[in-house]
Amino acid sequence: MIVLKDIHKHYGRVRANDGISLDLEPGRIYALVGENGAGKSTLMRVLAGHTRPTSGTIEIGGESISYLTPKLARKYGVGMLYQDPLDFPAMPVWENFQLGAPKRTKREVVDVIGELSYRLDACFLPDEPVSSLTVGERQLLELLRLLDLGATTLILDEPTTGITPEQKQDLFNLLIKLAREDNHTIILVTHKLSEAFEMADAIFIMRQGALVSTLEPPYDEKELVHLMFGEAAEGEVAELPKLPPSDSTPRLSMNDTYFAGPKYTMGPMNFMAQPGECIGLAGLDGSGQEVFLRGLCGLDRMPDGSMRLDGTEFRSNDFNTLHRAGVLFVPADRLEMALFPALNLMEHIKLTFPDRKGDLNEFYEKQCVEGFNLRAHPDTNASELSGGNQQRLLLSLMPDNAPLILMEHPTRGLDAGSARQVWNHLKGRCADGASLIFFSPDLDEVLEHSHRIVVFYDRAIAAVVDREEATMEVIGALMAGKTMEQIREEQQ
Amino acid sequence: MKRDSLLTQIGWLGAAVGLALILTVLVTLPAGAPPFETLYVLFKGGLGSMSKIGRVLSVWVPLTLCSVGLLVPFTARLWNIGVEGQVIMGAIFATAALRPFDEGGMMQIALAIGASMLGGALWALLSGLLRVFGRVHEIFSGLGLNFVALGVTLWLIFGPWKRPGVASMSGTEPIDISMWLPRLGNLSVSWVGLALAFAALIAIYILMHRTEWGLKLRAVGENPKAATLFSLGPRRRLLQAFMICGALAGLAGATQVLGVYHRLLPAISSSYGYTALLVGMMASFRLPLVPFICLFFAVLNVGSIQLPLQMGLDSSLSGVIQGVMVLSVFIVQGLRMWLNQRKEAD
Repeated sequence: MIVLKDIHKHYGRVRANDGISLDLEPGRIYALVGENGAGKSTLMRVLAGHTRPTSGTIEIGGESISYLTPKLARKYGVGMLYQDPLDFPAMPVWENFQLGAPKRTKREVVDVIGELSYRLDACFLPDEPVSSLTVGERQLLELLRLLDLGATTLILDEPTTGITPEQKQDLFNLLIKLAREDNHTIILVTHKLSEAFEMADAIFIMRQGALVSTLEPPYDEKELVHLMFGEAAEGEVAELPKLPPSDSTPRLSMNDTYFAGPKYTMGPMNFMAQPGECIGLAGLDGSGQEVFLRGLCGLDRMPDGSMRLDGTEFRSNDFNTLHRAGVLFVPADRLEMALFPALNLMEHIKLTFPDRKGDLNEFYEKQCVEGFNLRAHPDTNASELSGGNQQRLLLSLMPDNAPLILMEHPTRGLDAGSARQVWNHLKGRCADGASLIFFSPDLDEVLEHSHRIVVFYDRAIAAVVDREEATMEVIGALMAGKTMEQIREEQQ
Repeated sequence: MKRDSLLTQIGWLGAAVGLALILTVLVTLPAGAPPFETLYVLFKGGLGSMSKIGRVLSVWVPLTLCSVGLLVPFTARLWNIGVEGQVIMGAIFATAALRPFDEGGMMQIALAIGASMLGGALWALLSGLLRVFGRVHEIFSGLGLNFVALGVTLWLIFGPWKRPGVASMSGTEPIDISMWLPRLGNLSVSWVGLALAFAALIAIYILMHRTEWGLKLRAVGENPKAATLFSLGPRRRLLQAFMICGALAGLAGATQVLGVYHRLLPAISSSYGYTALLVGMMASFRLPLVPFICLFFAVLNVGSIQLPLQMGLDSSLSGVIQGVMVLSVFIVQGLRMWLNQRKEAD
């Protein structure tokens, strides 16, 4: 049994954790929910020994201590599974498994992997490089490794991002098995309420650094949403705009188009998008959706085929030409790809809108503060903004008249209220005639905001599904490699 | 994190200078030289008389031109180490421009200056093209081109441009006095050179901080990938940055030929390119600090000539001090960052 007592963690004036007390009993599954920036990760890092709390005590293994180190945490059997697997892709499975463990021969390691895999219904080839595994398999391997190290308290940080619904179900079954049969404590950090409902024996709700409530089943969804988001949750999500009659010129049409990314070439592809359409892309990491978006905007090459934008034919996809034609690409990796860390907000505005003369301050107010609720001084550097504010800046830098918007993960790092605001804005643009093609690792988001969904599998377009047909099961099955015919057969 | 106030910054710089002095003393002790007297001789050698100050200023001019130039590519995160070769190329072009003339005036001087800037810019463009299209890191290409430039100088001095009868390390036939840069009073520094250096300082300041071009170059340096997304033309801008730096370095070469040596020598650059790199590092590439650090380094350079004469020490001690200064700045910066991090962690 682990007891956290009055844990505080302050970064300067920011109180990431503000007096949190909770009990964790063995054999139970807990969910820790809260919007981004609520302090979930900080609290879990305290428990895993990666962050030293400002004050508070941790009772663990019968002792009362003021902070944990990673080594102590391991000694007491606390293991954390991070959102992005902390493994070494170039190394084979068994070497990854052996990292951090006491010295063993390869044969012993392979035996241990086999034993654990058998017990938990997993299957690993010890000599396979980790880079060839899917994200779900890598998570599972990491989980086995933690168990092998003697972890009895497992913290999983957003474990369902980037895996198929089927893999998710397998993972959840495994977790339930670990809790019920082996008496492990499981803590699931998530922002998806459905997962918390499905799994948890108790739900901890965090908001603005404080533990606002602990709920036990039966859960009341309304109450939970209210506790999590406060007033912000109330508000309307805009409807998907109605599509104009389809006899107009398509916004985008691809004719036997090939795109060549750094690792692979995909094609030929034939695809059409109408003005005003919201098109969601779904697929596991590396299934082709990244190259699709990057090819459309000209960042990846188009070795063959052509594409038409509003009737104008493009035989090559030069980035600057397409940019001038109004193709806008908004990448997910903000500081890496899309912003200048040491330039301030006003300088970003100047760079994006070089033709705009006159009072830029007024323009900034209108564009950033009113449009996207970006509350920061124009002199602030982009690197000093929080993730959510970086996303807001990125969105406010989108020129108003772009006819084709390509976005990776439009609401990354935003809380529910801001995400709704962003979607309302994007749908407003679609209603004005812009076409949006976006990708999100969050399938719910794709399902909710798309007229049509393009599913990618194995570096090709697997299917294009209309909104009426698109359910979680269908899209999930397509992502995992089934064909539309197989799915229809199964449904009958 | 906000930038520290000017006062704190100067304080930290003072700490770095102090550390440098201590390290220098440690270096001089084994040589058997009394440390404080050494420093005294060094500074008196640089500032002791008006003519010495004139010499310091004539070192300051090319050093400042190079350092200011280096700031431009550095803003785009490019280490134009080829600046040394660009100085040499500037000197070669200036000499070449003057060879047809037996005597001349301002016209010829202007021609030589223009040629030198062209020479330096073209030499820098080579580095730039290799970097942008050939993916050769500018440090390697720059270093290589420095040796090539030196080789070209030697070939010219011992080959086509050799003095009638003798070819020697003492260089080419001197240019006519009518084409020397006019001096400031009877000091060895030229007012033209000083004017050019100040003009370069102001021009680069305006270019980098007051124009859209400067903002875009900073953006390219900050994040080339994002610069592509913003359609800022990163490749073209990098080449331009190289050429501006090359032109200023070439100009420095011209002041060496027209104002100091009046001929082409193998050592025409006096290694000011490399020294300028040290200046840039020590100033953390902040323009307002550059002229002062250049002045300091110039004093050390001129003062060190006195060391062998008065103390029986090797004049390379000035180089040691310059190197130690830069190291101390880095040590102090590291210390400062460490302290800041600790403060944030608490």
